[in-house]
Amino acid sequence: MSLGLEHYLILSAILFSIGLYGALAKRNAVVVLMCIEIMLNAVNIAMVAFSRYLVPDVVVLTGHVFAIFIMTVAAAEAAVGLAIIITIYRNRHTVDIEQADLMQG
Amino acid sequence: MNFWLLSPELSLCGIALAVVLLDLVIEQKKVLAVISVFGLIIPIAFTIALWGEQQASFSGMLVVDNFSLFFKFLILGISALVIISSVDYVKKFARFQGEYYALILFSTGGLMLMCSTGELISIYIALELASISLYALVSFLKDPKSSEAGLKYMILGAISSAVLLLGMAFVFGITGSTHLDQIADKVSTLVSGGQLWDSPALLFGIVLMVAGFGFKIASVPFQMWVPDVYEGAPTPITAFLSVASKAAGFAVILRVFYTAFGIEAISADWGMIFAVLGAISMTLGNVVAIAQTNIKRMLGYSSIAHAGYIMVGLAAISTLGKSGVLFFLAGYALANLGAFIAIIAISNKTGSDEISDYSGMSRRSPVISFILAFCLISLIGIPPTVGFMAKFYIFNAAIQQDLLWLVIIAVLNSTISAYYYLRVVKVIYIGEPLSDEPIPSSIPMRVSLAITSIGVLVLGIYPWIVLRLAETAVVTFP
Amino acid sequence: MTELAFWVIAIVLVSSALAVVLLRNVFRAALLLIVCFFGVAALYITLNADFLAAAQVLIYAGAIGILLLFAIMLTRDLHSGNPFHRLHLPALVLSLLLLATIIGVVIGTDWTTISEVPQVVEMPLDEPTTSYIAIALFDQDNGFVLPFEIASVLLLAALIGAVVLVRREGKD
Repeated sequence: MSLGLEHYLILSAILFSIGLYGALAKRNAVVVLMCIEIMLNAVNIAMVAFSRYLVPDVVVLTGHVFAIFIMTVAAAEAAVGLAIIITIYRNRHTVDIEQADLMQG
Repeated sequence: MNFWLLSPELSLCGIALAVVLLDLVIEQKKVLAVISVFGLIIPIAFTIALWGEQQASFSGMLVVDNFSLFFKFLILGISALVIISSVDYVKKFARFQGEYYALILFSTGGLMLMCSTGELISIYIALELASISLYALVSFLKDPKSSEAGLKYMILGAISSAVLLLGMAFVFGITGSTHLDQIADKVSTLVSGGQLWDSPALLFGIVLMVAGFGFKIASVPFQMWVPDVYEGAPTPITAFLSVASKAAGFAVILRVFYTAFGIEAISADWGMIFAVLGAISMTLGNVVAIAQTNIKRMLGYSSIAHAGYIMVGLAAISTLGKSGVLFFLAGYALANLGAFIAIIAISNKTGSDEISDYSGMSRRSPVISFILAFCLISLIGIPPTVGFMAKFYIFNAAIQQDLLWLVIIAVLNSTISAYYYLRVVKVIYIGEPLSDEPIPSSIPMRVSLAITSIGVLVLGIYPWIVLRLAETAVVTFP
Repeated sequence: MTELAFWVIAIVLVSSALAVVLLRNVFRAALLLIVCFFGVAALYITLNADFLAAAQVLIYAGAIGILLLFAIMLTRDLHSGNPFHRLHLPALVLSLLLLATIIGVVIGTDWTTISEVPQVVEMPLDEPTTSYIAIALFDQDNGFVLPFEIASVLLLAALIGAVVLVRREGKD
């Protein structure tokens, strides 16, 4: 079986699931942010693969444009996210999410 | 490219920039709030001037019609009220007051653009503009609670937008386009068999997009952030989140689903998804709200429940259902903002959001207490408030679409909700006051309290003022 | 050739992503995340996306990777390692369910239903993408000008937000 859309989509699905698992299951806030980046990369792979294989023998560039915008937003989100993590660290000298439990109920 | 159609957003960004720059030279920080509020009159004026327009520009990405203008007006109004009621609150910030107002304005711009784009990439970017500004605003106090709230909001927001993007990727992959009208053309050929199951990729994309937008409107399954974020965020930001973000989220859902997936063969399928999610949201929100002791947290669960009520209008696929959603959002915005502004006024003095500290508040501040109680009664849905008319209208739409089971669940839920709202009213009126000190209220606070409470009453008696606008707004969708 | 490259990259990608989640040492996890970013860039090359591959290296492997390493050093929370949350089993079940669903959807869908796409910039295979992407982004008639403009406001808002959060209270 030659290389096709399905290969890329399944690879993207595996990466997305690993990222989701990490984002939901890890306690270190920085690692959670890293796992979210993996999820966004997985989406980008799917976008670019759709671009390449959607119509035979041409590249539909909408997927590439979408991927560029996702990268832009990911960079902005990472900057604000890390700023929030640093304010948390200044308050309690840890970035452990499980210890972020001032509010319960 | 018709920049006249973009004038509300452009002028809004101009004001935000002006506020940031003037912050550098102005010593008297109150002036910044004045500039922001009076500056908002410009985009509001542009929005009103555009009313009746029915055009698309920027290659179909910017859609200006009565529907988007209705939401732009609503969001701008909410933003103005939130800024007015922030004036006393921000006195506790040593610096960055200008940035606080600017971020609210940027977020407002993002929410407005969400309501008026007809293309998935623009929807995503506008949504992120609103979200990223709100991440910073939620953690603005930088104390333990606020930064924790910001962290939770940011992480869940980022996960939900990744899920939304995966859904958009699948929709793009199966239809080949990100323009909603072109998606609609393709969808009608894809599901010509009449079943959404014929195209699993489309179904999967739709489900993921519902989940992703669910974060913005605070519905199940992305509701877990709500109570913690509502409790930890600065109270004016909580108010903004609970009404403006929800309104824009519903606007996007209405536009995406009625434009792109609006054909009759599949609308019943996604209508059922919304019916089930709505039933779960309202039940979960109302049942958990009973146990809350913090009033901001309680209103957080109430916000989840209200997302559920509004989804009843989405499940009823009809003109009545659509205009019901718009009217409900306007009514909910007034009542919820009124309640939050009263809470801001009280907590500016007492420094507490615990319901037990509201004991005997009616004797310390009869007017604010009365407005808080009146807004809570509107949230239950008792006449003569707008809450009653909104629920009546939306449930009526559902009954006409044979969704009796959903309406029964919703009415039972409203009864449950009466218990915890009235408990607060009881504490305010029957409890013993903890001190004799009156609650002071500044002129900006009085203005915003007056606007919201008069709005709740007037729309409760003469609902057709807004209903007629809502009905002309939804004619955009066939 | 492309096929061989795909399988090698796929193995590198999946193992480095798993390592990010499973490694005890946060710093090593971040370095493997950068390996993962490079892998994605290589994957873009197999998909004829040369511009995106370059952007991926610059933005993700460069900017975001360095930003994450800085955050790890600034927060100095290395000693507590990279433990799992107490709710990690439900998260595992949810992720595996999602994976199974996506694989089912991908295999169960006929992806060859599109023969032409209206109003979208297309380009032949095996040509550099950069100039075509420029047309796709900025074309007068059907370019993505509006999202581009919103993105500029978004970057400004993120900049202001990050500065406000990281600066300490009080005078300079």
